[in-house]
Amino acid sequence: MTLLDLMHALESQPFAVAIAESGWLFPIFETIHVLALTLVVGSVAMMDLRLLGLGNKGRPISELVSSMLPWAWTAFAVAATCGVLLFSSKASTYYDNVPFRIKVICLGLAAVNMLVFHFITGRKMADWDHGAPPTRARVAGLISLTLWIAIVATGRWIGFVL
Amino acid sequence: MIQTLCIWLANTALSHLFAELGWFVPTVQTVHILGIAVVITLLFVLNFRLLRITRSGPPLQRIAQDSLPWVWRALLVLLTTGVLLTITEPARELLNSAFRWKMLMVVVLAVLTAVIQFALKRDPAYWSTSPLRRMQGNVIAVASLILCISIVAAGRLIAYV
Repeated sequence: MTLLDLMHALESQPFAVAIAESGWLFPIFETIHVLALTLVVGSVAMMDLRLLGLGNKGRPISELVSSMLPWAWTAFAVAATCGVLLFSSKASTYYDNVPFRIKVICLGLAAVNMLVFHFITGRKMADWDHGAPPTRARVAGLISLTLWIAIVATGRWIGFVL
Repeated sequence: MIQTLCIWLANTALSHLFAELGWFVPTVQTVHILGIAVVITLLFVLNFRLLRITRSGPPLQRIAQDSLPWVWRALLVLLTTGVLLTITEPARELLNSAFRWKMLMVVVLAVLTAVIQFALKRDPAYWSTSPLRRMQGNVIAVASLILCISIVAAGRLIAYV
């Protein structure tokens, strides 16, 4: 079974067919997806900009991260759920879509960047609560910010090359 | 009259130029979405705090002082990118009922945001000094959150109605 067969199997599921055939389900999930992703990008950007020393400078980094992470994760769960539902309605079409593929790669890279930061770079985050974060933390922030902007851009591009 | 404006705008050299550049609309829309991310996130954090759903972090007045200047800056970016998109496809926006609702709601949201900001500037404890003020704060916060959600929805629905 190839990946493309899997896409065809996905888009023939009853829920996927329902989204594809209904006139209003797609725009509704799309609206929720957009709303949630703005919260993901906004909350991640606040943490990234703090790491880069460009925003929220007066706020201890560990405090900012612990108050923004619940926003980021809750919104991500919603955005991802709606994203999967939108994808399922035209799975084989999106599978073939170049911006979609780039978006998925960027999401994967953002996940790796986040894991590295969480388990290695940022393990002693509270140490740099009041000073400038070390270079590797700044790099993590820059990579994250760049990837999330790319995720928004490629996401917007999907609809233009369908 | 608006139709005449649309026809005139669509015939300007600028509109032709933007429409011919294939990358222009998606790029400007991407910047527009990033601006929305700034506004939505900062207003959600502020309003959740005003509603006392979240209680950690800096006090409300400090959050407002740090974040609202960024909300206004992002709003300026949204206005600019919105105007560029409207110049490119005037009829798509100006004749669209979702677009008109969106503009109306943006104005109301801006007024509510200014009210929250102005009151906190006058008195950092403004929204918590009496049960009445607390209730007023709750009403404004809920209205602001509903407007945020409705504005994003109306914006997305421009493409469908």
